[in-house]
Amino acid sequence: MTDEPLLEVEGLRMRFDDFEALHGVSFSVPKGLLVGLIGPNGCGKSTMMKCINKLHTSWTGTVRVDGEDISRMRPADIARVVANVPAEVGSIYGMSVMDMVMLGRYPFVNRVWWESEDDEKVVREALRTFGLDQYRRKQVSLLSSGEKQRTLIAKAYVQNPKIMLVDEPTSHLDMKYKLEVMEYLQKMARSDMTVIVAEHDISLMARYCDLCIIMKKGSIVTIGDPKKVIDEDLIREVYEVESCVGTDREGEIYVLPKRYIKTREEGDEGSRGHDPAGGAPGAGPSSIFRRRRR
Amino acid sequence: MVEDSGRGPLKGAFSTLRKGFKGMSESMVPSEDDKSEVGVKKRRFRIILAAGLVFLFAMFLISISISSGGIIPITDAFSALVSAISKGGEDLTTEELYVFSSRLPRVVAAIGVGAGLAIAGCMFQALIRNPLVDPYITGVSSGAGCLAVAASTTLASLSFLAGYSAYIIPLAAIAGGLLAFGLTLAVAEGAGGSATNYILSGVIVGFAFSSVQTIFLSLNKDNLTNVMWWLYGSFGNITWENAFLVLIPSIGIAVIAMLWAREFNLFMSGEDQARLLGMNVRRFKAIMMVVASVLTSVCVAFVGVIGFVGLIVPHACRMMLGSDHRLIMPASIVLGGCLMLFADIIARVAISPLELPVGAITALIGTPVFAYMLVKRGREYDG
Repeated sequence: MTDEPLLEVEGLRMRFDDFEALHGVSFSVPKGLLVGLIGPNGCGKSTMMKCINKLHTSWTGTVRVDGEDISRMRPADIARVVANVPAEVGSIYGMSVMDMVMLGRYPFVNRVWWESEDDEKVVREALRTFGLDQYRRKQVSLLSSGEKQRTLIAKAYVQNPKIMLVDEPTSHLDMKYKLEVMEYLQKMARSDMTVIVAEHDISLMARYCDLCIIMKKGSIVTIGDPKKVIDEDLIREVYEVESCVGTDREGEIYVLPKRYIKTREEGDEGSRGHDPAGGAPGAGPSSIFRRRRR
Repeated sequence: MVEDSGRGPLKGAFSTLRKGFKGMSESMVPSEDDKSEVGVKKRRFRIILAAGLVFLFAMFLISISISSGGIIPITDAFSALVSAISKGGEDLTTEELYVFSSRLPRVVAAIGVGAGLAIAGCMFQALIRNPLVDPYITGVSSGAGCLAVAASTTLASLSFLAGYSAYIIPLAAIAGGLLAFGLTLAVAEGAGGSATNYILSGVIVGFAFSSVQTIFLSLNKDNLTNVMWWLYGSFGNITWENAFLVLIPSIGIAVIAMLWAREFNLFMSGEDQARLLGMNVRRFKAIMMVVASVLTSVCVAFVGVIGFVGLIVPHACRMMLGSDHRLIMPASIVLGGCLMLFADIIARVAISPLELPVGAITALIGTPVFAYMLVKRGREYDG
């Protein structure tokens, strides 16, 4: 973690008409980490990912990947350093697993029409890594949810990126597949790829992530080792939910939500009410690094 | 088991076809794990081209030997064609004249239109990512129809244009098709440019042009015969002058569009995903929409609105070959050409000497075949 930062974000702001979705977010992430992006719906997780991969283009601020300013890079060049794993497979008219994963080689295939042997080698290797080789001729639509998610991850993996952005990878998966997908993501982070995962399952994030970025209403509340930063106060502040944060016998954190706090009642400290414009005064930079474990 | 008893000839034929295809696909997919998948695709591509061209040539020979006037042996038709070509189209015998001047132009145009509509349908289905899409989705057919009717009922009656009458309807049709597409594009892009926007604006633009067309038709009831053939599709008016005006642009555009087959594959995985892999999605979509609409306009200009081919041929190819446009696009060209030739033969001989509208025949042949494929492969084809 002492390495040069791989991803640096400075003063990132994103505005949709009269709504500011990100209020000047700044953070940096070293390489080789699995980073969890945690926060309630609409807090700006997906927006931030879409700024980093330049799906949104009207943001202000600076995003650097490996020292290079992303706003000066062409989409094809960004595709060689940043890969994306969407939450779901779209409608794809019977595309096979092999064909789908092969799409990830698009930024590297310069020849007209056919991919080279090297591209195929990379793809087959990825299919083996993710346990998909036996399904390579099968249609993606016929796979189980877990296998579909692995196909999407494999497609991003063959881009050989420095950063992989993963959007809610386990939302449709059962317990076993959730763990399996997180283990694959962790394995990739260990192979020097920085993996940033936006996810709602905080216990899962706390177990696998090396670093977590907690967001609320377009700002970062705190950044740090999930085992150190996640506690009941933080959950109350970020989610407006009373919870029980405990530690199991292996030292892993689990979060049990208990009840949500009604907003604007009895001057409750953890609840600031819903501000449609975002950017409640207390959720700004002043609240960063404020919370501590009880 | 009841399975084998009482098999009708139709079911038997379908089953043989299916087994034939299955056998072909199995023999093309090696069982060993280390065989190159890209190599398999390249081999499939070559087989599609070779088999397709052979099949197309066979259909071509059958087509030039049949007309509403009668049937001559294929060998005679072929030798008449060769001798007519060697004579350079001059001093021809009656048979050579039949084959060279009467049948060959419409065969050439049928191949062009079939291939063009099929690949335009294939492109639109990928660009709009909706299974109901056909080449007429952007209102091209209604726009072309409207201006063709308008031209034939007004301009064609003007004496100073009499010498150009053969070109007035096609030119008006191309202009109408492109005008309708332009309007659809403007409305859809104004609404945000999503697939649904394109479908809805194509439908409303289509309705508007159809209404105008109906008004023109009701105002000029006496002049309907000039334009009826066009509204239902026919190769009857094709001559040497316009056959190549159909064939060259449609095959040319189809082959050029094929160069972007890999981009079509990427586009199918979703616009955002394609953009994130470095593709200029907006430009690609705009250019390909224009290309496919021009292609459709050229196809409808000389022979009228022929439905169904552009809808089912690409679907049939997807069901048989998967989702890779490097295989689907050439297969669509070949299958579209073959289906159109076959439909034209039926249109000419079914109630000879009268000629049926070819558009009705394409649908009649295509529906049962496609329904069968849908029942067999529809579940796998979903999503």
